[in-house]
Amino acid sequence: MRKQKEKDPRIQMAEDIKPGFVPPFVAAIASAIIPGLGQFLSRSFRKGLVLLFSFATILGLLVWRFKLAAPRDNAWKDIIPKAFHLQPLMIWVTVLVGLLYLWIIVDAYFSAKKLGGAVTGVTFYLLVVFFAIGWQIGGIDLVALTTQAGDAVPALSRVLWPWERAITYPKTLLIGKGEVLSPCTDEVFPETTPLEDHPYIVVAPTCGKTSEQSGDEGTTLTLNGFGFAPDTETEIWWKDPIGNEFRQRQGGEYVKVFTDGNGQFVVDVIMPYRLLPPSAGDGPKIWEVQGRQIASVGAGELSSEFKLVIEKMVETIFIGMMATFFGIILALPISFLAARNLMSMSPLTIAIYYLVRTFMNIIRSIEPLIWAIIAVIVVGLGPFAGILALTVHSMAALGKLYSESIESIDPGPIEAVQATGANWLQVVMYAVVPQVIPPFVSFTIYRWDINIRMSTIIGFVGGGGIGFLLAQWIRLLDYAAAGIAVWFIAITVAILDYVSAEIRQRFV
Amino acid sequence: MLEIRHLTKVYGDGTVALEDVNFSVPDGEFLVIIGLSGSGKSTLLRCINRLINPTEGEILWNGVDLAKLEGADLRHARRKIGMVFQHFNLVRRSTVYTNVMTGRLGYTPTMSSVFHRFSKADQQKAWASLDRLGIRDQAHKLARELSGGQQQRVGVSRALMQDPEMILADEPVASLDPVLAHSILEYLEKINREDNITVLCSLHYLDLVQRYSTSVLGLRAGHVVYQGTKKDIQRMSDEEFKDIYGEEAVRVGGGLEGSLTERGEE
Repeated sequence: MRKQKEKDPRIQMAEDIKPGFVPPFVAAIASAIIPGLGQFLSRSFRKGLVLLFSFATILGLLVWRFKLAAPRDNAWKDIIPKAFHLQPLMIWVTVLVGLLYLWIIVDAYFSAKKLGGAVTGVTFYLLVVFFAIGWQIGGIDLVALTTQAGDAVPALSRVLWPWERAITYPKTLLIGKGEVLSPCTDEVFPETTPLEDHPYIVVAPTCGKTSEQSGDEGTTLTLNGFGFAPDTETEIWWKDPIGNEFRQRQGGEYVKVFTDGNGQFVVDVIMPYRLLPPSAGDGPKIWEVQGRQIASVGAGELSSEFKLVIEKMVETIFIGMMATFFGIILALPISFLAARNLMSMSPLTIAIYYLVRTFMNIIRSIEPLIWAIIAVIVVGLGPFAGILALTVHSMAALGKLYSESIESIDPGPIEAVQATGANWLQVVMYAVVPQVIPPFVSFTIYRWDINIRMSTIIGFVGGGGIGFLLAQWIRLLDYAAAGIAVWFIAITVAILDYVSAEIRQRFV
Repeated sequence: MLEIRHLTKVYGDGTVALEDVNFSVPDGEFLVIIGLSGSGKSTLLRCINRLINPTEGEILWNGVDLAKLEGADLRHARRKIGMVFQHFNLVRRSTVYTNVMTGRLGYTPTMSSVFHRFSKADQQKAWASLDRLGIRDQAHKLARELSGGQQQRVGVSRALMQDPEMILADEPVASLDPVLAHSILEYLEKINREDNITVLCSLHYLDLVQRYSTSVLGLRAGHVVYQGTKKDIQRMSDEEFKDIYGEEAVRVGGGLEGSLTERGEE
């Protein structure tokens, strides 16, 4: 009944509206001088303020971006063309800002004309301008993203399928030898005797002349290799009469040959030039020609990278576990001190509540990676630094979650237990603890999850664990090895996700 | 003997819940407090055991002013005042036995209670109390698994564990159906008569008031508007009842109970 007697609030508002202080075109001119002033004079105070501050901010940003684009110039007549030339996007941003300026003037005109302010969409357009500036500041380059996406393929493919790197075959150096006499004598130098179970080279002819410094080519020798590892690259080496080993070059390249399926090869080489010291003496000497192979023997085994990844993954999981464990121990007492419903008894306890809350908020606002950098300074590189960093952050994060779940419990039982004459600790033990166990378990598992994920990257700053390896391999461009680490991180996190979801379901 | 003098409670937001309330309750009385929701019944009961701190006034109980007690003295006084709640206020995730045991916390050293160690005598007391309320076989269930009536019995036996000299019952049957309401109030009546424990109980149903009370106190907007003996209440007419409950109350007739409900506050 009473409501009907009152005036319709909308009608009342319309009556309250007074005309602007100035006529429309004066408002427009005012906004042209100071953007937003016209709206202000049209009684759209809030809009005027928003426009004034936004336009000032936009102008400031624009000046900064121009100077950044052309840092060497001082005069605006040089800066602006150069900036437009170097960053064509600046043209668009400038046009949009200019439009905004005009729009504000138009808006001021209509605001002054129309009672209650005009809806011209100027505030929405403001957001568009901010978005455009953000695009320019962010250096967003969709062209680069689309045209250069292919560059990531080689690295990415190695990360996605790194398993060739996970297995190594032990390798040995296999050397087969033959001998050549140089220079030739009347005596016939014997051919290499065939060996069993060992590679050898038969040289034809068995004697020859080495190449000369003058350019005279030495004798062309046909090397027949036998008993080598099949289908394997073989390099030709020489050992000169005084025992120095060197590689055969021919046409500027090292001589390499592939053995066939039977472990044999045939290759022609020219006896190389080699300056021998006078102490070697004159007369015919024996040169040794070698076929060298890096051949794998036996079955493949896990690579050292793979083993390292497993080692560090285990370390990582334990870093996360220990940090969660210590985090719980520290967070439990703190959370009770940070719960408003338990701490509102006296001014002292309320002071403690605020102190603990502030302390936790400060700690929590600093990322674990930054804590890790600090911890590394204190205790040095290694897992302990990671544990410290994650512990500090977990303590604050869990403390907050715990205290909030304490605050949201049913106050009835607390009242009831208080009414029996129980003291604070008894109230906590009998009325609070049973109620908070399920959320505590849930939050703890959640935190454990986060900690293990965090511990995989805490190593990037030296906090131990798999992140250290990952960072190192990425910097060495060893993407295959990095891929193994990434795979293990993904598998571990997926398993933990599943396990933690299961545990939470059981408890809660 | 409980004597309330000039009791006033003003909440932080300026709401005056009680204003200059005066009355006295002789030992062994079953005092029923009636009044609309928001008339200050709960505040009054909670001021007596200091779950709420009164703004002004005295609460003299056996010569001690409860309103002035602090710390250990307050806890010692609370031990002798049991309380039963509308929503039972049990720890729902704890067992019935543990809930009953909390009644002994005021008598148990802190360290033992933290580790759930109670004396032999207390344990026997708990079983006796459960027996008395007929819920011995439910002892190891979780409180939340019990029905409403059973939960309130746990609430009563928790209060009994305190060896109380007075029981405050804040609408103990408002969440229960009429049959259960009688059974709970019968327990309270039995405790009141057999153990000579003073009971202060807030109720809404007129016939429950007439059936169980030995004296009645009516509250309206924080003021005592009615005080009467059992005889007075037996003779009480609907008009008088309406006077306490205000114009918006009606009597719902024809049911198992004559009850007073409030009309919606539109």
